[in-house]
Amino acid sequence: MTEAVIVPAAARPATERRFLGSLGRSAKGLTGLFLIAIIVLCALFAKSIAPHDHAQQVIEWRYAPTVWQDGGSTTNLLGGDNMGRDILSRTVMGAQVSIQVALIVVSIALVVGSTLGALAGYFGGIVDTIIMRIVDFQLAFPFLLLALIFMAVLGAGFATLVMALAFALWINFARIVRSETMRIRTLDYVDAAITMGVSQLRIIFTHVLPNVLPAVLVVATLDIALVIISEAALSFLGLGVQPPTASWGVMISEGRDFLYEQPWIVIAPGIAVLISSVGINLFGDFLRDYFDPRLERM
Amino acid sequence: MLRLVVSRLLYAAVILLGVILVVASLVKLVPGDPVDVIAAGNPGMSVQDMDVLREKMGLTRSVPEQFVAYLGNAVQGDLGTSIRQGVPVTSLIADRLPATGELAFWTLLLAFVIAIPLGIVTALKRDSWIDYAGTFVAVLGVSMPGFLLAVLMILWFSIELRWLPASGYRGSALASIGRAVAERDIGIFWNAFRYFILPSISLAFVLVAVNARLIRSAMLEVLQQDYITFATAKGAPRLTIILRHALRNALLPIVTLAGLQMGALLSGTVVIETVFAWPGIGRLAVDSIHVRDYPIIQAVVLVSAALFISLNLIVDILYRFIDPRVRND
Repeated sequence: MTEAVIVPAAARPATERRFLGSLGRSAKGLTGLFLIAIIVLCALFAKSIAPHDHAQQVIEWRYAPTVWQDGGSTTNLLGGDNMGRDILSRTVMGAQVSIQVALIVVSIALVVGSTLGALAGYFGGIVDTIIMRIVDFQLAFPFLLLALIFMAVLGAGFATLVMALAFALWINFARIVRSETMRIRTLDYVDAAITMGVSQLRIIFTHVLPNVLPAVLVVATLDIALVIISEAALSFLGLGVQPPTASWGVMISEGRDFLYEQPWIVIAPGIAVLISSVGINLFGDFLRDYFDPRLERM
Repeated sequence: MLRLVVSRLLYAAVILLGVILVVASLVKLVPGDPVDVIAAGNPGMSVQDMDVLREKMGLTRSVPEQFVAYLGNAVQGDLGTSIRQGVPVTSLIADRLPATGELAFWTLLLAFVIAIPLGIVTALKRDSWIDYAGTFVAVLGVSMPGFLLAVLMILWFSIELRWLPASGYRGSALASIGRAVAERDIGIFWNAFRYFILPSISLAFVLVAVNARLIRSAMLEVLQQDYITFATAKGAPRLTIILRHALRNALLPIVTLAGLQMGALLSGTVVIETVFAWPGIGRLAVDSIHVRDYPIIQAVVLVSAALFISLNLIVDILYRFIDPRVRND
């Protein structure tokens, strides 16, 4: 699983071809990529795709049905919500919010977790003990509960949400990087580097971490889905992104009161959450199979 | 063995102490104290009243002193008093714990009743349509947020079909079994149980997905072992081989993960109880966060962590009885 990085630069196009070839043969990978592309395009071009301003309230649009229902119109393709806002525009904007939160959270968790994991795995001893005790300790808190405490103490909001989720997720990276580092540390080329007098920091960053990358990539991908779901859940509880920002969780929570008469208010953001998490999970599964074919056979 | 149990118990106690310390210090970080929260709800309160109350609640003492006092009370089962309701937190939690506990019970039962056969069948019929359907369920289960599944099921089963209640709780279904048997009336059980169905499915779906996959891959691995080949060669019935020889070993990884899955379940109840207006500790926590009733939040986190830690402890010790290979290490 490490040759992707060890190969000399000249041979790299071959690895790329191998990756693309493998992706082309994988229904899982392609479907995942396709679903991710939909959401990412929505997020990137939200302003152009959304037919209306996501916060604009129009009295006539209140509870407007979807275009395929009786009384629906092309003005609001997916209908209007209880405040007279266009649901399509809000769902598209929601993609931006979800992806923003997910990318920021996973980046922070990845950098902090990987660094601490690499230190623990490389140096072992007291450094390892301290870092892994913190990880063990944090495992005693169920994931969402930990985020909830944060929201309770610091108050709901975007910054708290990001901090809470990143704080809850870094251990995933720390654990995988630690175990991979411990494995790689015993390989001959690391010994060779030590013998040649390469500094320890340099060994960690140029010899160990690049080879841990595939495993980190898989965790990061799957964690993006986890963050999107958690953000939606926390926002649904009123503890995440605050209204009137168009977050899928907020939209589902607001629409819940109108399930009997206007179910379409929750359907659109619900499907959006599903598309993104199914897409990312499928692609993450493909990545794992690609980097670790041993698991594929199971 | 005894030494192991004792050392694990000590370790669990240390972790729990740490949890108390961290949660208590987090709550101390909040700007303002409980008295400010009370005063916000009572505009008639004077500054003198607030000082008297602070004195009474022990808030004038130093932080370490307060912590030791909290710890001392906690050990005796006193987790403080709710700021908003003026009721002992312990009794609030004791009132709510059974509803959450029974929800967890039906969820786990449902999850395993579906996951075990699904895992076995998808392993035996590998690469068939049923295996692909299993993969589909697995991906959907991991990707579907519980609250979304809950809302969609309410939409379908409660609003469209009118089969099941959209929310609420009508007492323990387990407790009603006795009465239903005595009066020979299944309706008594059903009246309580039907409120459990949608919340349990919402919580169980992800567990089914994950566990069915785990059992499938464990089965595939076990079925390749020599002793299975040997059992087949000596002419043991296929069903005996699958259930007695293969499944028993394939279930081992599930036992390891059962404890960790309880954590996911605890997190899940927070959301699902809110959706279904379920009177459990999860909803208690969310409600308390909204009104900033810190003693309750602190206590719910503490109780959840304690439950989680002890369940993992039990699993850890149980594992050594189930798997002799670990015991002999």
